[in-house]
Amino acid sequence: MSATDNMSAVRPDLIEKVTGRAAYVTDLAIPGMLHGFVVRSPAIHARIVSIDTSAARSVDGVVDVLTGDDVASFGCWGVVLKDRPIIAIDRVRYVGEPVAVVIAETIEIAENAAELVNVEYDELPRATTIQEAIMDNAPLIHERHENLEDFYFKGGARPTQNSNVFHTYRNSVGDVDAAEAAAAYIHEDRFTFPAISHFAMEPHAVIADFRGDSLTVWAGAQTPTAVQKVLSRLYQLPLAKVRVIVPFVGGGFGGKASVKIEPLVAAASWKVQRPIRIAQSMIESMLTCRRLGADITIRTAVDAKGRILAKSAKLLLDGGAYSDTGSAVATKAANRIMGPYVVPNLRLEASAVYTNTIPGAAFRSIGGPQAVWAKESHMDNVASAIGMDPAEFRLLNFASRGERIRPDLRALDMDMGELMGRVTQSFAAKAQSSNRRASGLAVAATDPANTPISNAIVRLKIDGSILVSVSSIEIGQGAHATMARIAAQTLKQPPSAVTVLRTDTAVAPYDWGTGASRSTVVVGLSVENAALDAADQILEMVADVWELPRESLSLVEGGISTGSEVLTFHQIFHRALGVDSGEVIGRGAITPRSKKGALAESPLFWETSAGLAEIVVDEDTGEIHVPRYASAADVGRVINRVAAEGQDEGAAVMGFGHALHEALEFEDGQPINATPIDYSIPRISDVPPVFDTILVENGDGPGPGGAKGMGEGAILPVAPAIANALFSTYGIRITDLPMTPEKVWRALQKRS
Amino acid sequence: MLPSPFEFDRPSTIEDAIRGVGESGDGMFYSGGTELLLAMKMRVIHTDRLIDIKGIFGLNRICLNEANDIEIGARCTHAKIASDPVIREHVPALSSLCANVANIRVRSVGTIGGNLCFGEPHADPPTLLAALNARLVLIGRDGTRVVPADDFIRSELETIREPDELLTLIVFPCPNGPVTYRRFKHGERPSVNVAMAWSIDAGKATIKGARVRVGALGSRPQPLKVVEDALRGLPVREVRSAIEAVLTTALDELEVNEDRHGGADYKRHLAGVLLLRNVEEAISVGGGA
Ligand SMILES: Cc1cc2nc3c(=O)[nH]c(=O)nc-3n(C[C@H](O)[C@H](O)[C@H](O)COP(=O)(O)OP(=O)(O)OC[C@H]3O[C@@H](n4cnc5c(N)ncnc54)[C@H](O)[C@@H]3O)c2cc1C
Repeated sequence: MSATDNMSAVRPDLIEKVTGRAAYVTDLAIPGMLHGFVVRSPAIHARIVSIDTSAARSVDGVVDVLTGDDVASFGCWGVVLKDRPIIAIDRVRYVGEPVAVVIAETIEIAENAAELVNVEYDELPRATTIQEAIMDNAPLIHERHENLEDFYFKGGARPTQNSNVFHTYRNSVGDVDAAEAAAAYIHEDRFTFPAISHFAMEPHAVIADFRGDSLTVWAGAQTPTAVQKVLSRLYQLPLAKVRVIVPFVGGGFGGKASVKIEPLVAAASWKVQRPIRIAQSMIESMLTCRRLGADITIRTAVDAKGRILAKSAKLLLDGGAYSDTGSAVATKAANRIMGPYVVPNLRLEASAVYTNTIPGAAFRSIGGPQAVWAKESHMDNVASAIGMDPAEFRLLNFASRGERIRPDLRALDMDMGELMGRVTQSFAAKAQSSNRRASGLAVAATDPANTPISNAIVRLKIDGSILVSVSSIEIGQGAHATMARIAAQTLKQPPSAVTVLRTDTAVAPYDWGTGASRSTVVVGLSVENAALDAADQILEMVADVWELPRESLSLVEGGISTGSEVLTFHQIFHRALGVDSGEVIGRGAITPRSKKGALAESPLFWETSAGLAEIVVDEDTGEIHVPRYASAADVGRVINRVAAEGQDEGAAVMGFGHALHEALEFEDGQPINATPIDYSIPRISDVPPVFDTILVENGDGPGPGGAKGMGEGAILPVAPAIANALFSTYGIRITDLPMTPEKVWRALQKRS
Repeated sequence: MLPSPFEFDRPSTIEDAIRGVGESGDGMFYSGGTELLLAMKMRVIHTDRLIDIKGIFGLNRICLNEANDIEIGARCTHAKIASDPVIREHVPALSSLCANVANIRVRSVGTIGGNLCFGEPHADPPTLLAALNARLVLIGRDGTRVVPADDFIRSELETIREPDELLTLIVFPCPNGPVTYRRFKHGERPSVNVAMAWSIDAGKATIKGARVRVGALGSRPQPLKVVEDALRGLPVREVRSAIEAVLTTALDELEVNEDRHGGADYKRHLAGVLLLRNVEEAISVGGGA
């Protein structure tokens, strides 16, 4: 095989990407397309007194300017709470909020004219942090809360009226107070977590083409069917008249999930009835959405032997100015702060609050990094307080395979002790080197919201080539290559025979969306079903036409074996249809009722991770180096090893960013580092020179061939593992991220 | 984001370039464009005319001249300086500084002249060039002037250069003793950096003179006079104790901005750490003792 064949075998999209042929939204040109440039709010929270667009409109080449007045009658949209105007109407709630779109013949004209739009603001009292937002007399960022039940996720938000709290989730098991009263030891900690930027290489870019009663949108959307639904409701169009096309996408990490700038771009196109593109810069996308910051108090009670008796956690999440999916992030953060331990008495409370900052959004393992940062740092603190080795403390308290960590969640489908053992062995295998090398451990078990709703179409052509159509998007994670492999394996054809179509809702059947580590399992199962359906049809054709028993027939590469001979697909279609043409169309669906309801219970599988970090601290400067890291995950079965390892490594490296570098900072609501120069993410030189990915395969997952989902878990243990290494060897406990050199140095100073 | 519209001119002589910028209002020299274009795209710099100086012959030479001075043309890119044999041989600290500035894209087009003229406080070369006692050659309408690197940057993003003066050359005496440079950074730019150049007597046992500069803390590189005084005429073997004796006083004299790079006490401390590490290196590579 040549190098390019090799690459294509791993991922058919790689050659297109490295040769620059891959077309992203900014590479597309729709005939007659105009360009929009967004005028953004410099104010943190303010009433819009007036918008003067006359100077901008008079510029040659400017076609129109969209403002709130144009779209006020459409009302608000949202995916959980209906809280978001298409563009600011009478008020802005964060710095960066769109207040006008200048529409022009070229992007240069639009951007220059945007400087001429004159907006007058009247400042309002603001709440820019969680603490400010929950004060009794805090200014209300939204006066009313309108919940959309079961709209995007099952369930909805539980807002507190007349407050900035837009969602509160509570869950309790047993009697925490009684357990604490009987405990030998109780330990409480508080941790905070900053807002973090998704920092996808491709910023948000959308083309919308509104023509009369139909709308076509090209967007790097992770959940095209959610975009379709929101646009259909907002603009009162039948779903069948709203078409969402997803070309190549340059990363999303949740920042392109649910719905982002699509309603805005559609409104601009609606106003001028011509296609329009808005292609944001990196800076604008940093002002569009970010991970929710958090303030977490966690308390654990243990008995004299170190067994956990009770755990309680109160989590406050900073949801920014609009809720997006922040309510789900809060709920998941509460769920993700528990496991994988046996905790007989449990009290969880998580709230998401509005603040006058960039809207919060889903981000790789929603609520996970916040929760696991707190719980796994806390675990080592508890172990240390009772004089136990942290690994032993974990082993003693792990829930075992088949055990439930909460009655309403699926029993654990993996062995956490094994994962922890695997990362420890990985370190032991390599010669231990000398002085002052510290290591720290952390584990996580999270409940992805996999939503078992998906459809797939698999078409087997007369020449044996296969077309797969799904709504899963290829966002760089390799989903389409995985779907191709599943179809190929099921139909016994070589992977090179399969083409997976880029997502277009006009062709691709309904699916919930690309996120929550669900595609390989849920969409993969529907592809498998569709392939089985196609197989069934072609086998039936042979049985019928050749008058052979079905049992004697089997699929082989290029056709069907009858036992005595191989009939090519050509021969089959030709004889069955009378002409040398044709195809069979297989359809596969997954619903909560599939597999006798086995997929309905939440979560579909547990996403697991264990991480072990070795660190060396320059005590003079406070700088942390990570020479070695091991990451383990139980993935059930690996379908595409290069892609799976890449996902694990990528998630962990993102975790290094969270741990050591990243925080989107605000000063009184004003973003101060929302530029790619001031915001730093890890570089290849920051990746540990020794990095071991261990994928545990027991073939026991719900997906094709026993696969489980993956790709998010490895981000979770990194920060607490590093923090625990700092704690055990250097005697300092960092409670807020990122662990910058200055923070570490100050803690070291305080210690000595 | 895109810059506002501008005119573009590529003269082939220094005279035309200077005339081009000086003609009216706000023309600017354009070298690698790595700072300038970013600032124009972010619309913090507005100019209606760029005068590209890439077409001017002879601005990117590096040599050791007859006066035993090293000359570096202002148009030399970081990458060129990093790999230049003269610099490698005589000032390896400058070669490695340039090899580690920014990222590979910036190094391959960004120039030393552009770096100096931008006047960014969180920069590497100005600190080392000041320690090397460099002189900068500026050519303007009224002729040529030569200014010490120490005086060139006036304050944050501001130099003493007139808008129509072209920086052509950077000149400094070929070092006769160890030159050391260290920076600390966590993010895109250095938070603190320290450069030290010793001149050593023939027997390699005594420091005749030392120049020590600390950069990125204030608006421009600052001398550590107390340390320089302590080192002058000192036997190399006594350096450690002499510096330790004056270090606190020396660091206290530094002007330190509180900014996103850290609190003043932390950065002052880092300056001390980098200085001591430079001293160890200087002793081991060049001090002999
Ligand atoms: C991402 C990034 C990271 C960076 N990190 C670092 C770092 O860690 N340390 C560091 O020291 N630097 C850093 N830099 C700065 C880098 O060194 C400079 O961008 C580069 O050297 C500037 O050179 P240039 O030729 O591109 O200048 P230009 O952008 O072309 O010009 C910069 C300014 O100087 C003027 N100018 C240029 N040449 C002359 C001349 N010969 N005479 C008169 N005026 C002139 C221009 O008019 C303009 O005002 C970084 C830059 C970037 C973009």
